[in-house]
Amino acid sequence: MSETRVRPALRGRELILAVLRWILIVFFALYTLFPLVWLFISSLKTNFEFLAGSPFALPAVPQWQNYINALTVAGLGRMLLNSVIVGLSATVFNVVVASMGAYCISRFRFRGRERIFTLFTAGILVPLNALMVPYFVIINKLGLYNTYGGMILLYCAIGIPMSTFLIRGLMDSIPMELEEAAYIDGCGFFGRFFHIILPLSRTGIVTAATFEFLTCWNEFVFANLIVSSEKLRTIQVGIRYFTNQFSTDYVSMYAAIMISIIPSIIGYILFQEQIIAGMTSGAVKG
Amino acid sequence: MKLERTDRAPLWAFLTPALVLMLVFFVIPVLYVAVVSVLKWNGISAPEFRAVRNYVLLFKDKAFVRSVLNNVIWALVAGFIQVPLAMVMAIILSRKPRGWKFFRTVYFFPQVISGIALAMLWRAIYNAETGLLNGILRSVGAGHLAKDWLGTIETAFPAVLIYWIFYVGYYMVIMMADITTIDESYYEAATIDGATDFQQAIHITIPLIRRTSLLTCITLASVMGLRQFEQVYMLTNGQPANTTSTIVLYMYKKLQDSNYGMASASAVILIIVGVVFIVCIRAIFEGRGETVKVRKGRAGR
Repeated sequence: MSETRVRPALRGRELILAVLRWILIVFFALYTLFPLVWLFISSLKTNFEFLAGSPFALPAVPQWQNYINALTVAGLGRMLLNSVIVGLSATVFNVVVASMGAYCISRFRFRGRERIFTLFTAGILVPLNALMVPYFVIINKLGLYNTYGGMILLYCAIGIPMSTFLIRGLMDSIPMELEEAAYIDGCGFFGRFFHIILPLSRTGIVTAATFEFLTCWNEFVFANLIVSSEKLRTIQVGIRYFTNQFSTDYVSMYAAIMISIIPSIIGYILFQEQIIAGMTSGAVKG
Repeated sequence: MKLERTDRAPLWAFLTPALVLMLVFFVIPVLYVAVVSVLKWNGISAPEFRAVRNYVLLFKDKAFVRSVLNNVIWALVAGFIQVPLAMVMAIILSRKPRGWKFFRTVYFFPQVISGIALAMLWRAIYNAETGLLNGILRSVGAGHLAKDWLGTIETAFPAVLIYWIFYVGYYMVIMMADITTIDESYYEAATIDGATDFQQAIHITIPLIRRTSLLTCITLASVMGLRQFEQVYMLTNGQPANTTSTIVLYMYKKLQDSNYGMASASAVILIIVGVVFIVCIRAIFEGRGETVKVRKGRAGR
């Protein structure tokens, strides 16, 4: 632990390293934050202020009107709602299906288990973008082009390997003795699932759900592919169309981008542990 | 747990939904692209067998070759520039300097913001007239360097590629998690022997994460580099003159033209390039250097 170690006064090379260290730390932080702050400040300017003034100047009066513009004129409110509907539904279906699957893979030994296990793990590695053509065809064949159902089904499905992986990880850590005791007491397959395994794997399920929702919220490629109706557009697809609609109204466009970013950042700050756990544990073991 | 006979039916009932989804959205699609890649098909009329003609046409198309090249550059830059930067930051932050939690949170931001929003943000930054980058250049008296970054052939691809390199949060967090499992006693012993932080990083930390999280991150970053779509789609749509195209963007455009065969063939190429990358990276890491004998704290306990 560096903070408990007693450090002699920094000299020479060590001093240079310490300075370098802080330059790097601050550089990477500014690199991430500064563009966001610039975008936010610009989104509160008038178009005249934005075009004529310095990029660093603050707006004379914050133009919250830009946000109202983006929400009403461009129908951003509707798109946010679409994203919430699709994201929540897909997440619920996804974790239900994944927990059921994870229970079987984690707690039972049966023929074909190894193969199924490999299939799920391999699913994490598949480059989904490469499957654009079949997804487009399958969704069309199922009659789900241009529907909430199509997006929900696709999002639910592509998240299955990851969610199963995250939930199974937690289920694996539950001692067998617990379940065996319940079994002796006459608790059946479903009883053990609902009363023992599910409550004990809560944290894994929350991690999977958070990760799945964030993925749905930010997803663009497939939402753009299988939906063309303006009424069904999610926020990510929606903001892409702003470039045409608001081509000269920069500040409203920036407000729109901010509106799509803010929920992600708030969600991240609220669920930081789950999001980081979800994104990294899958990477390390997958 | 031993499976009781009575459990067999509920077990398969529980597994079926997940299995069906995996079958329909993973197994079948992968087979599908392989099959369709040898057909001439527009999705409506009867498909026509073409053998490898689609692949030949792909490699005759300069736009496709350029796309593959761009993806390879992207994967290499991500794996061998972005990840090492992330590693440096992981080593620095894992020594827990003041405010490290705050910085970790900030570095991770780009990972939770959608790719499309980030791309739009950077389009605004690179904008020739109103962009932040040109604004900064003009305000420091370097206005002559200001240009249309995304519209100029020389700068378009570097511009699309570079902004992502400094978003190191994701790989940094993965490596930090790994570094915290290293037994503290190695560092204590090294400190007693008078090793500086820098020497400790070179001789303890990096060798210990080399085959685990560093390898994982390089693999992940390269694979992500091969899958790029939103960035280029939003920033340049492959322009100017296809210099910023990627395989997935090329595939998307073929799909828009209802050229299912060519689109699927490029998907197959994408998957193959991905596998080649993974195999090569593994080979580089397995083949070189002695086996690390010291064990991590976690493993022994």
